Amino acid sequence: MIRVVWRQQRAQLITMLAVFVVGAAALLAVRASMVSYLDGHALGNCVAIGIRADGGCGNDVVQSFQDIWFDRMKVGQLFVLALPVLVGLFGGAPLFARELEQGTHVLAFTQSVSRIRWMSSKIAVAAAPALVVVVALQLLVEWWVGAAGKIGPLASGPYFYATFGTSGLAPVAYTLFAFSLGMFVGAASRRTLVAMTVTLAVTVVLRYALSSLQKFLVSAQRIVSDDPSVSKVEPGSLTVFGGYLDANGNVVPNANSAVMNCGSKGDAPVTDTATCYRDHGLVKWFADVVPAEAAGTVHLVEAAIYLGLAVVLVLATGWAVRRQA
Amino acid sequence: MVDGQAPVLTEGLGKKYRRGWALRDCTLRVPENRVVALVGPNGAGKSTLMGLVTGLVKPTAGEIAVFGDVPNGRGLHPAVAFLAQQKPLYPQFTVAETLRFGQRTNPTWDQEYAEGLVRRAQVPLTAKVGTLSGGQRTRVALALALGKRPRLLLLDEPLADLDPLARESVLRNLVEESRRQGITVLLSSHVLAELEGVCDHLVLLANGQVRVAGDVDALLDRHVLLVGPPEGPLPLPASSVIDARRTAEGQEVLVPASLAGGAPGWRQLRPRLGHLALGYMRDASREVAA
Repeated sequence: MIRVVWRQQRAQLITMLAVFVVGAAALLAVRASMVSYLDGHALGNCVAIGIRADGGCGNDVVQSFQDIWFDRMKVGQLFVLALPVLVGLFGGAPLFARELEQGTHVLAFTQSVSRIRWMSSKIAVAAAPALVVVVALQLLVEWWVGAAGKIGPLASGPYFYATFGTSGLAPVAYTLFAFSLGMFVGAASRRTLVAMTVTLAVTVVLRYALSSLQKFLVSAQRIVSDDPSVSKVEPGSLTVFGGYLDANGNVVPNANSAVMNCGSKGDAPVTDTATCYRDHGLVKWFADVVPAEAAGTVHLVEAAIYLGLAVVLVLATGWAVRRQA
Repeated sequence: MVDGQAPVLTEGLGKKYRRGWALRDCTLRVPENRVVALVGPNGAGKSTLMGLVTGLVKPTAGEIAVFGDVPNGRGLHPAVAFLAQQKPLYPQFTVAETLRFGQRTNPTWDQEYAEGLVRRAQVPLTAKVGTLSGGQRTRVALALALGKRPRLLLLDEPLADLDPLARESVLRNLVEESRRQGITVLLSSHVLAELEGVCDHLVLLANGQVRVAGDVDALLDRHVLLVGPPEGPLPLPASSVIDARRTAEGQEVLVPASLAGGAPGWRQLRPRLGHLALGYMRDASREVAA
């Protein structure tokens, strides 16, 4: 059964292999080129410590590197972000829709093999290689971006959209979701084009919606600064909510007017901002944040949502295919 | 409960779609080792009946058994092969790959036999299915159906898209194989002329119901074709006439043999399968019109 299904998917599998070979070769070449640039400009230290004037890694030094390489790395990350959608469009959507359009599902249904076995073979043969390719390209891009260390996109922290979507479980979860969605819409609508359109639209909308809800996926931690004029937000963390506390530790509702009163006014600069804040009732600064270290948990929660949806869609596909005559 | 090991046995079988009943109250027994013609006008329920036998369609009412088993979605009964009307085949497969598909999806597959059928049809094994002519495609589809060594072969309009030469050769080949292998063939068609001399059992559907079912010889024995003068009244009351029509030579009236006596001036002829089938189909369509 697997061999027969493999024969059927051969064209797609060869295309995917070509994408992988070309993509991997390009990634390896571009990474090697970047590494030699870093070595040639003695930026090895900056990769480890990031932009810091005292370490000889001031803006001026790093800028010329980033001018050339930052956008290229982002393009690499966007490529990995796009892969799951492509798998959904060209792997998932036509999987059953094309058979239903051409009537060839009748051929499979009228052999002495169960529909479940036929379906699961098709799904496995189409999805497994796609997952391998996506993960391989993800790792290659991560390896490349990692080589730029703290002067590359990783400096923006794990929640930077292009980094978050191309690391951890995210690509696998997105791929399985987009694939199952395409497969289900194709089986239910019996139209490849409809399935591709719906998959593209729904995947993009859901990805956007869930990434804007990203900071609510795990519970935030409150960090407090005794000096109300000093923020203690670590770079790379997500701020859910922030403001000031009064003497009793309650959130001050309208802190803005107090903050404005302590701003510089013409020729009378405020010298001690902290005292000024305290005088206006802002005793402490606080923020509810999702720290960078929680990225693994955020990945897990997000992946669980996508994988849960994928499971539902696979079951729904089974139902949709079984009711076809 | 329907039981027994007949190729197809149905009891009060019915299928209702949103637009209405496609098949209704169908009680039928398809005997073994027959070439069964399933005839009827478009929309009579032929494809629905085939779908019910294969399990592709689920019955709304009644029961059906195929070799004693209830058809379901878990794959076709190993003893049953089906060739759908569109003769679906994977166009990108070669003929050899198509046969390999049959081999992998059917436990009772006979590769040598299937290859022999294709070779006898002079279809090259290395040709892509998408490049074959209609006749060759049909022969490949038939080889795929016969390769699993079925005891019941269902063919939905197998001749519909073939030219006359291809029809003749496909049909001849089919009948030879079925007789040699002892296969029951259930063949739906509205090309009646070609079924003459090929089929030995008739099931006639009209408006979703079985109108006539039985061995062809027995059916023909039970009917008489009266041929009489072009003008003048019918020799029998209209209620006992199945079908009456005017031809160039005169009037032709199809009646049950038991009522055929007492028509002076009318010649009694043994009807042919075409007379019988067309007569009953016209009768059914008049009922609908009335």
